[in-house]
Amino acid sequence: MVVKVLCDTIQRSKKVTMSETAVLSIDGVSKSFGGIHAIQNITFGVRAGEVLGLMGPNGAGKTTLLNLIAGVYRPDSGRILFEGRDITRYPPHKICHLGIARTYQIPQPFTSLLVQDNLMVAAKYGNKRGDTLELDEILDLVDLLKQKDTIAGDLATVSLKRLELARALASNPTLILLDEVAAGSTEAELPRILDITKQVRKMGKTIILVEHVMKVMVEAVDRIIVIDKGEKIAEGTPGEVMEDEKVLAAYFG
Amino acid sequence: MEVSLVGLASPIIRGILLGGLYVVIALGLSLIFGVMKLINVAHGDLVILGSYFAWAIMGWLGIDPFLSLVVGVPLFFILGFFVQKFIINRTFRISLDAALIACFGISIIVQSICQIVWTPFNRSLTTSYQLQTFAVGPVIISLRYLLNFIGGLTVMIALREFLRRTYLGKAISAASQNEPVAERMGINPNRTYSFAFAIAMACAAVAGVLQGLTFYFSPTSGSPFLIISFGVIIIGGLGSMAGTFIGGMIFGLTQTLGAYLSGGSMMVQMIAPYLLVFVVLAVRPQGIFGR
Amino acid sequence: MVVRDKMKLLRLTTLVSVAVLVVLALFPLIGIPLSWLNYLFSFFIYLALANMWNLLAGYTGLICLCPAAFVGLAGYTMAIGTHVGVPFQVGLIAGAAVAALFALIISYPVFRMKGIYFAIGTLVLPEALKAWFNFWRPVGNEYQGMGAGYSVVGVAGITLGEKYWLALAIAAASIFVVHIILRARLGLGLTAIRDNENTAASSGVNIFRLKLSSFLIAAFIMGLAGAAYYIHVPSIQPKGGFNISWLLLPLMATVIGGEGSEEGPIIGAAIVTFLRFLLADYGAWSLFIQGIILVVVVVVMPQGIAGLLRRVGAYRFPQKLFQAAEGKIHKT
Repeated sequence: MVVKVLCDTIQRSKKVTMSETAVLSIDGVSKSFGGIHAIQNITFGVRAGEVLGLMGPNGAGKTTLLNLIAGVYRPDSGRILFEGRDITRYPPHKICHLGIARTYQIPQPFTSLLVQDNLMVAAKYGNKRGDTLELDEILDLVDLLKQKDTIAGDLATVSLKRLELARALASNPTLILLDEVAAGSTEAELPRILDITKQVRKMGKTIILVEHVMKVMVEAVDRIIVIDKGEKIAEGTPGEVMEDEKVLAAYFG
Repeated sequence: MEVSLVGLASPIIRGILLGGLYVVIALGLSLIFGVMKLINVAHGDLVILGSYFAWAIMGWLGIDPFLSLVVGVPLFFILGFFVQKFIINRTFRISLDAALIACFGISIIVQSICQIVWTPFNRSLTTSYQLQTFAVGPVIISLRYLLNFIGGLTVMIALREFLRRTYLGKAISAASQNEPVAERMGINPNRTYSFAFAIAMACAAVAGVLQGLTFYFSPTSGSPFLIISFGVIIIGGLGSMAGTFIGGMIFGLTQTLGAYLSGGSMMVQMIAPYLLVFVVLAVRPQGIFGR
Repeated sequence: MVVRDKMKLLRLTTLVSVAVLVVLALFPLIGIPLSWLNYLFSFFIYLALANMWNLLAGYTGLICLCPAAFVGLAGYTMAIGTHVGVPFQVGLIAGAAVAALFALIISYPVFRMKGIYFAIGTLVLPEALKAWFNFWRPVGNEYQGMGAGYSVVGVAGITLGEKYWLALAIAAASIFVVHIILRARLGLGLTAIRDNENTAASSGVNIFRLKLSSFLIAAFIMGLAGAAYYIHVPSIQPKGGFNISWLLLPLMATVIGGEGSEEGPIIGAAIVTFLRFLLADYGAWSLFIQGIILVVVVVVMPQGIAGLLRRVGAYRFPQKLFQAAEGKIHKT
């Protein structure tokens, strides 16, 4: 009985320490595909409410990392912890239920469904945390409210990117993985995207942001992690990372 | 019943030789799948059509079925070319599902043609040498099984050389690996597809003769061959001719060993290959050698 | 397809559907000729199959080539049951249950297969069952030395009218089930799976569970239709019970009628029934012509008749009519 109380206290204090530092914790994760080491022994944490940028040259493994977190791939070794829970071997739908949502680099909408029904899928299947959301508000946030009754397959690519974000939000996540949400946007559209990202952050969400567009990366994020060839080569504020020799070498040879 | 080592030798050898037949049958399917990513579900029925055609020529001209291939191969080649050109190429513009449905329709058409022209009863190609056997040590080998093996090897090597050395063959290989690049190099994909299907049909004609010499056939005999062919190309790993050859052996062995170990049960012989295909599809669809 | 705008038409279409159902149910009682009843019997069976195929292929994205397995298993269960004292009425349900159980058992291996592998994997099943039932004879006397067929015992006294009602009930159930699913969360999830399985999974959809639901429902109702058909025939053999026709029928109905819509299977099943009766005296030519029609339709009109009507805007006129009528009803 005493042992139980002791164990519970230790667990709770571990959880408390964790939630102060990391809502998501990647611990020594590796993944290979038939001899190619896509991710090699990566470790980092994501603090609650922060916007973490994920950077790296093409083929560095950024999307693979997102896929590992989202449960699409299973790590060969290492652990992934979310809010204290070991989600390393969880399937994608279960990870969504726990509160992690993701967008895809190339938009993957439900093409025959209406825009609002795209969100409805996430709302009805992904939101297991009680509070119902106003889907119209989400659509308004991404400037798609007027197109809520359009069939998703008829939307322009740029709108599809925003639909990705809306759908991710509709499942009421705690953590959102954004994969190149600004790619393909014009100079004029960037401020709006930055604005939307900031609003999402204000909602209390934690964000992991993969981005190539530097302006967005630098202005939206608190911290950046740089990976190259599957390994973490730098970690720090945007300022620190931009001056890091290893980062410059990775990008410019 | 006793299972002796010497006793096993016969079904093992027969299984390997039979594998040659399954290789020839599977090659046509493999070619189409490799080039167009399409499973021609009419393939088994087209092979049976080849058997019926050989049977008809034999009955009409009284010649050896292999000789009938002189007419059969070009005829099937042309038939395949136009089927691809006028039907399947059109469905590709719609979707791959549409192509599959079209193939299914062709399967129905071929089955019913066979039934109309040649009645639903079992047939087989009978020749004077068909039932000949000869002994190699303690093992008795039947000639037609040996012919299957030789046929399988020959057609496979011929096809491989064709794909490697001729212009058309290289075009087909290129289109199967990377269509946009091939197109930019001036290769017309639709025409390439037509030739690929035509070659597959030619293989089916040859397979039909070999098959007809080995088994009884009827208009509905095609489906088992389709399933086995699919199993053959999957189990050895897609795109590998050596893999297809080994796949053929495996299916041949499954049948002969199954028959031997079950005391000649027809049920086992028929169901064992199906079970194998199902298990491979469920457990290891990339095949034995796939990653 | 858009389920949303159909909500507005719901009340009137429900009324119309119920009216049609009642009229059809009265047919045996008001002296409709037996040949018509026979014709409609087949139509109802084909309609149930087409609706379930549409549920699987059109809405879930599962191109399943094993309807013959469900039909044959249900038919055999029912037929064998009548030889061991199980009345055919119970056998009907038992048969459907066996079909569903079969679907449950194979779902684990079969849902691991993707795309064309799934298609071939499901194609293997009826062929294997056909071979199995050629050799397996659990009850009854030897039939030409091996397995093969069974007669169905105890159905001699059933009138065509009663069988007609059975088929009508099954067809109505199939329409009702699809209708309900499309308006429930399940329909949304199935469409999501069909459109993009990965996105659906990352949005919280349990792919396996939803596919399984769809699969089980389809197997059960196809089983009902199959057992009902064999109550009518009333004997079953492996060649017929597991025949490729059980795949061809719903496939043709869906291709001709249009898949992914509720009315497509109805139109398609009607045309297929008409075709079959037209060609009934021509033996193998019947299958030949059906094959040709299938190929022609898929090349020339892949979206089917329903799709064509939709494109041409043929729905706008009846829709306006309905809306006007609904408006009038609400005013009174």
